[in-house]
Amino acid sequence: MPQTSTIHYEAASTLAVVVSSNEPLLLLSEDQKVVAASASFCRAFDIDPSTVTGRGLGEIGDGEWDMPRLASLLRATASGSARIEAYEIDLLRPSRKTRNLVVNARTLDDGDIDRIRLLLAVTDVTDARAETRLKDDLIRDKAILLQEVQHRVANSLQIIASVLMQSARRVQSDEARGHLHNAHHRVMSIAALQRQLSTSSGGRVELRAYFTQLCQSLGASMISDPDRLSIAVQVDDSVVEPDFSVSLGLIVTELVINALKHAFPDDRMGTIVIGYRSSGDDWTLSITDDGIGMPAGTDAPKAGLGTGIVEALARNLQGEIRLSDAGPGTAVTISHRQGAGLPTDVSKAA
Amino acid sequence: MKKDKAVVLVVEDNTIIRMGAVDLVLAAGYEALEACDADEAIRILEARSDIDLVFTDVQMPGTMDGIKLSHYIRNRWPPVKLIVASGAAILEESSLPSGSRFFPKPYDEHAITDAMARLLASETPAGTAG
Repeated sequence: MPQTSTIHYEAASTLAVVVSSNEPLLLLSEDQKVVAASASFCRAFDIDPSTVTGRGLGEIGDGEWDMPRLASLLRATASGSARIEAYEIDLLRPSRKTRNLVVNARTLDDGDIDRIRLLLAVTDVTDARAETRLKDDLIRDKAILLQEVQHRVANSLQIIASVLMQSARRVQSDEARGHLHNAHHRVMSIAALQRQLSTSSGGRVELRAYFTQLCQSLGASMISDPDRLSIAVQVDDSVVEPDFSVSLGLIVTELVINALKHAFPDDRMGTIVIGYRSSGDDWTLSITDDGIGMPAGTDAPKAGLGTGIVEALARNLQGEIRLSDAGPGTAVTISHRQGAGLPTDVSKAA
Repeated sequence: MKKDKAVVLVVEDNTIIRMGAVDLVLAAGYEALEACDADEAIRILEARSDIDLVFTDVQMPGTMDGIKLSHYIRNRWPPVKLIVASGAAILEESSLPSGSRFFPKPYDEHAITDAMARLLASETPAGTAG
């Protein structure tokens, strides 16, 4: 069949649709001659539009479209034995950067079964691929950086912990040693949170896992006989913001240290229970021991730094501290009720 | 022949943390040796045959990190007990030689001395050394 005659069969509207396509598009005859090329194709691949029509696909431009793989796929498509869907191919041009292409080809179904037309759509994905690669690299870099930061934080906390413990082993006074140990516990409390954050996603903290780790750490350093004293964690499924968990963790640390020091004298056996439950914006934290109970009156110990820390943090969280007799033992409850005691509560002020 | 004190080699590149670890080993009643990287640790292990336990950091400059070092030690000196500590994300004990212990940093010193005591009291797979 002479080529020139096939070209003249095309409906003007078909050619117009192809030429005006936004997506780079070629309309090919069965023997892979260009019937029409979209302006976008010529622009994207730097081909003079006036030189395209009637030429073989392998001849347009500088012959860079002469790709045996593509030609054989187009042959298979024309014979109806295959369809090219999102086939990836590289366009190689001398002294120019290789472009990554995604091609789709199908026969044009226009009701004329004797005359086969191929529609070849070519998308240049080089820039999109480069962007994806860049994004992947950035995500990977960020993960590595985050790991590095976490590693550094852990190492820094280890340095502080090491120095505090070395001091504690050297000082002569029991009181000074006690203070150094307390400082060490506070550092370890922050470290437990740090560890929890490094394993959590989205920077939120699962309180039960955090408190469990915290109490393991406190128990390991303060309880010499685990058969005598234990710490239990009874926490619901609350997941909270890191800032909030730091405050809760420090409160738990102070109150557990306090209970371990004062509630179980003379090798008394016992358990400390950390409780936390929340409902909506309301929450309750409790530290309960079954020890000897709080001494009252003149026997009451002078409020130390620990008490100050607990009071300040509870106030900051708009929580109310309640001390009660757990019979036996002591329960410290810090609870927050939405709206209670807030400055916005103007009914009482009026 | 039994010696009176177990010998623990501390491998840690950070000076302050190494000091703290040596201090902790001494306070636990062991003899302490120190190395600031894996290469120095191997030199010490080659020079002395009485080392019972190696307590090593993971991320260190030099040819090997603490994990590689622990495998190297297990292959060359099977009886030596191993404790590994790292500030990097939680490490699986399964990536370490069997029987070794892992602690995330900052570690609790009681947990470390407790692990040392248990490891040193246990029988070695390759027969008792020293």
